Amino acid sequence: MYESSQAPPRLLKAVGMACALLLVAACASTPPPSEALRAAEQAISNAERAEAAQYAAAELGEARTRLVSANEAVKEEKMVVAQQLAEQARVEAELAAARAEAAKAGKVNEEMKRGNDALVEETQRNSGAPR
Amino acid sequence: MNNTRYRISSPTRVLIAAGVALALAACAAAPPKSTGAADARAKLTVLQSDANLATQAPVAIKEAEAAVVAAEAPQTDEQVAVHLAYLADRKVEIAEAQSQARFAQAERTKLSEQRESARLDARTREADIAKDQAASAEAAAIEQKRLADGARTDADAQRAASAVETAEMQRQIDELQAKATDRGLVLTLGDVLFKTGKAELNSGATSSLDKLAAFLEQYPDRSAAIEGHTDSAGSEDYNLDLSQRRAQSVRAYLMGQGVGASRLAATGMGETQPLGGNDSADGRQQNRRVEVIIDNPTPAIR
Repeated sequence: MYESSQAPPRLLKAVGMACALLLVAACASTPPPSEALRAAEQAISNAERAEAAQYAAAELGEARTRLVSANEAVKEEKMVVAQQLAEQARVEAELAAARAEAAKAGKVNEEMKRGNDALVEETQRNSGAPR
Repeated sequence: MNNTRYRISSPTRVLIAAGVALALAACAAAPPKSTGAADARAKLTVLQSDANLATQAPVAIKEAEAAVVAAEAPQTDEQVAVHLAYLADRKVEIAEAQSQARFAQAERTKLSEQRESARLDARTREADIAKDQAASAEAAAIEQKRLADGARTDADAQRAASAVETAEMQRQIDELQAKATDRGLVLTLGDVLFKTGKAELNSGATSSLDKLAAFLEQYPDRSAAIEGHTDSAGSEDYNLDLSQRRAQSVRAYLMGQGVGASRLAATGMGETQPLGGNDSADGRQQNRRVEVIIDNPTPAIR
């Protein structure tokens, strides 16, 4: 009469087992996100080479801060957070490099424009009234 | 008994209900898109519709697009959603910065062309100015040459004219049978002009005096000294007087032909300057004469 009532406890047991397994697996399969951390470090040194310290200081500082946070998260065994912070540090550093390049390119263009304007002005001055 | 077969114990029922409710709640709570992703999508759309920037960094824009799509996927974990939105936002920003840098580089080509064009313009203007200067210098040179040529032409004309003049004068001098001496042109008129002992000119013997008058008329800057000479026959006083009167006769004749008195001087030299010996008839004939000395023109006048 109660033979069918034995199923639910079995099901519960199975769910509990699975949960436990998953938890264990999660802990065991989350090593430090060393690849993401290395990529972030690489991106930061690229940005430094692109003179981001001069042209995109805020972004570069943000990237460094996030990398520090990522390393702290590793120490605290918060690997998921560490991974995210490392990825964020990387994109922030990439942004710093890109903005530095854009700023430098814009500066070069400004100088060229000024040079051209000066040349045109000088030409007109030398030749007297424009023809 | 049959219905007890499907009876589930109440604790189990509560658990299942809770589970279903949780699942439903989870589904309902998960937003279709995070606000961060929406912001990133909006920024990306602006970048993609910017005519100058949209095509500059295709790879970065593609990555940004993928990141935005990933962020837009519904996430149960709020932290993951925020993370993905953050990544998407930064990827869009990176794409924008790269596009700006590339656009600036593209602009640089244009700026270089402008610079070249400005340089060329400057050079052209310089060349034009130089050409203008050269042209005016050339014009000045041409004008100078023209003036010089004109001067030369004038000088040539003058020289030619004076050559013609000289030749003409020489012809006339030849005709007068005058001799060029230090004193000037000396024209010797023989004793055929006068009868013996007389001071009056023979009519019909005046052709050489007419030529002399014409010559003096043509060269008004020249004056003439008329000297009368005799042979030694007769007394010196007589001869001096005779020679003076003869010289005066010639002067009077020339004045009658229109030569100004101030240009004519008449002197009697008597027998003091013989050309030949008075001991022969030929010598005496040479000595009886009237000399007309036409002075050379003063250099100040010529």
